[in-house]
Amino acid sequence: MRLQDLPGEPIMWVLIASELLVFAAGITAMAGVRLTDPAGFAAAQAQLHGWMAALNTAILVTSGFFAARAERACRRGDRRGARVGLALAALGGAGFLAVKAVEYAGDLRAGLGMESHPFFTFYYLLTGFHAAHVLFGIGVLALVAIRLRTEEVQAGAAFWHMVDLVWVLLLPPVYLLG
Amino acid sequence: MDLTRIWLILLGLTGATTALAFVPGPVAAAALLAVALFKARAILGGFLHLERGSGWWAAFVVPLTIWLVLIWGLHVI
Amino acid sequence: MRYHSQRIAYAYFLVAMVLFAVQVTIGLIMGWIYVSPNFLSELLPFNIARMLHTNSLVVWLLLGFFGATYYILPEEAEREIHSPLLAWIQLGIFVLGTAGVVVTYLFDLFHGHWLLGKEGREFLEQPKWVKLGIAVAAVIFMYNVSMTALKGRRTAVTNVLLMGLWGLVLLWLFAFYNPANLVLDKQYWWWVIHLWVEGVWELIMAAILAFLMLKLTGVDREVVEKWLYVIVATALFSGILGTGHHYYWIGLPAYWQWIGSIFSSFEIVPFFAMMSFAFVMVWKGRRDHPNKAALVWSLGCTVLAFFGAGVWGFLHTLHGVNYYTHGTQITAAHGHLAFYGAYVCLVLALVTYCMPLMKNRDPYNQVLNMASFWLMSSGMVFMTVTLTFAGTVQTHLQRVEGGFFMDVQDGLALFYWMRFGSGVAVVLGALLFIYAVLFPRREVVKAGPVQAHKDGHLEAAE
Repeated sequence: MRLQDLPGEPIMWVLIASELLVFAAGITAMAGVRLTDPAGFAAAQAQLHGWMAALNTAILVTSGFFAARAERACRRGDRRGARVGLALAALGGAGFLAVKAVEYAGDLRAGLGMESHPFFTFYYLLTGFHAAHVLFGIGVLALVAIRLRTEEVQAGAAFWHMVDLVWVLLLPPVYLLG
Repeated sequence: MDLTRIWLILLGLTGATTALAFVPGPVAAAALLAVALFKARAILGGFLHLERGSGWWAAFVVPLTIWLVLIWGLHVI
Repeated sequence: MRYHSQRIAYAYFLVAMVLFAVQVTIGLIMGWIYVSPNFLSELLPFNIARMLHTNSLVVWLLLGFFGATYYILPEEAEREIHSPLLAWIQLGIFVLGTAGVVVTYLFDLFHGHWLLGKEGREFLEQPKWVKLGIAVAAVIFMYNVSMTALKGRRTAVTNVLLMGLWGLVLLWLFAFYNPANLVLDKQYWWWVIHLWVEGVWELIMAAILAFLMLKLTGVDREVVEKWLYVIVATALFSGILGTGHHYYWIGLPAYWQWIGSIFSSFEIVPFFAMMSFAFVMVWKGRRDHPNKAALVWSLGCTVLAFFGAGVWGFLHTLHGVNYYTHGTQITAAHGHLAFYGAYVCLVLALVTYCMPLMKNRDPYNQVLNMASFWLMSSGMVFMTVTLTFAGTVQTHLQRVEGGFFMDVQDGLALFYWMRFGSGVAVVLGALLFIYAVLFPRREVVKAGPVQAHKDGHLEAAE
């Protein structure tokens, strides 16, 4: 179990582990604070639109699928396929952000800000931090699409899958476990 | 593993999450988190090429499982 | 010492050692003021002494980093420093600025003057002309070392070191930004204070440690570099948003409490990685380097940094805890061991490594130097433990029970006496260190048969 046994760039794995730990710490803190006011948390969470989160999950895993295809195409030497895959993955990211923007806009219109309730502090911090990673990830995908080096594309795709991974773990505690 | 299959599995699991979201109670909560774990395993193994059964696989999946149990515990108490 | 211009480092270390002696001496005076509060209250008020104590610490550490860079860079880049003259000018500016600071703090001749008067922001009290001088000297330095690095061999050690130094210089610019709004003032103030010691300085620390490990253990560069990148990644990942742990109670939005708590909790990771790195490298080492003292300082650095910065930092970083402990002696305990472990020991490790080479002492044992490590470090650890107990009692009496500040301080007298005692040990250790690296010409303890046998089997030292 050495660092170099991990598939791809070791630093990317350090990042993946760090991100998972940070999000896990945030979600755990939220679950802990929820114990001080379960009814308030449930009422706050009921104001969210779970179906948008479900839609976004479908968008994100599909986008991850394209990133994985791009990586495979790149390894085959199929540069066109790799670029198309990366573009579709980034497009998925943009779609995710669009849905997220609609969702945030609705929340804010309903007067649900970061300070409205402790739940919303966590909601905005966790999903906002995740959305920032999606935005950054789109940039990473675009960047690796320029030179199309196999190891760079793999690292970019790994970042993208990490964003995907964080989202599927974020979804139940933030949106669903009332 | 075939990428399309992993993608379909992930979409199926997302459907399962959506269906479970309407069911109240601690068992459904456990099921939701279990589905999340399966999604995470599919991404780690299928997309991130972490070799199933390797030391690193365990290093990611075992703490993840324990953490999800913890989240479930915090949810039900 | 393979390059002539590495000699510049000697002058930097010399000035650093003078300031080090000043710093710990003033620390001892402050320790005495704690037990006898009227001591020198007219001549050297506590707040002035504290400014001198903290400022001289930071300046001598900076000089240590600069000196370290002038020593390390030629060996890594395999060429002479771009311009030794600029390095001397830079040192001159620093010495002049330091003298100016001391005079300004002690006599306050230009009270309130925008350019010449002291500025009053904690740790950034320097008058504006000194701040400008530091900026100019820093730009000269960065030009000089960047030119050296660009023309020479590029290594991971150089890259990380330069990244840390560039960060140090750029973040210094926030010392000039002083918004009228006190909340914003503090917000940006931390970009210097925090992002230095819990951000870019950690990169400098990792690079210097990596250099020492390369030299002392003879481990492959490739292995060292892998560790280096992991340390850098985790340091920046945790340290940048970890700034949030200073934003809890200064008037910034409450969500900083969670950002700060969560990210700063991970600040222990790079320190744990540095400690593991140092020990693994020594374990894997192929070289029996004669400079055992430098090894002791390096290992001591990583262990005490892990405890002082990592563990003692985590102790009060969660906002639920910090709500009670903020600004108590717990902070003082953490501050002392963190700075000592992470940065004092680091610079002293490099000084210990360089001095015998610069002074052509071979063969050497540096027994006095090692004694100074144990004296100084045990003094500092004792001080940390004492202040931790004092802080715990203080937190309870003052923050939980609601006692008055000065009543509680009276109750802590015993701890302050013990702290003074540990301060004496630290000062003696520091003076012993300075003597040991600068003065003895030859100091050799003859090896016995076991060591002689080992020497015959191991790779020769560089």
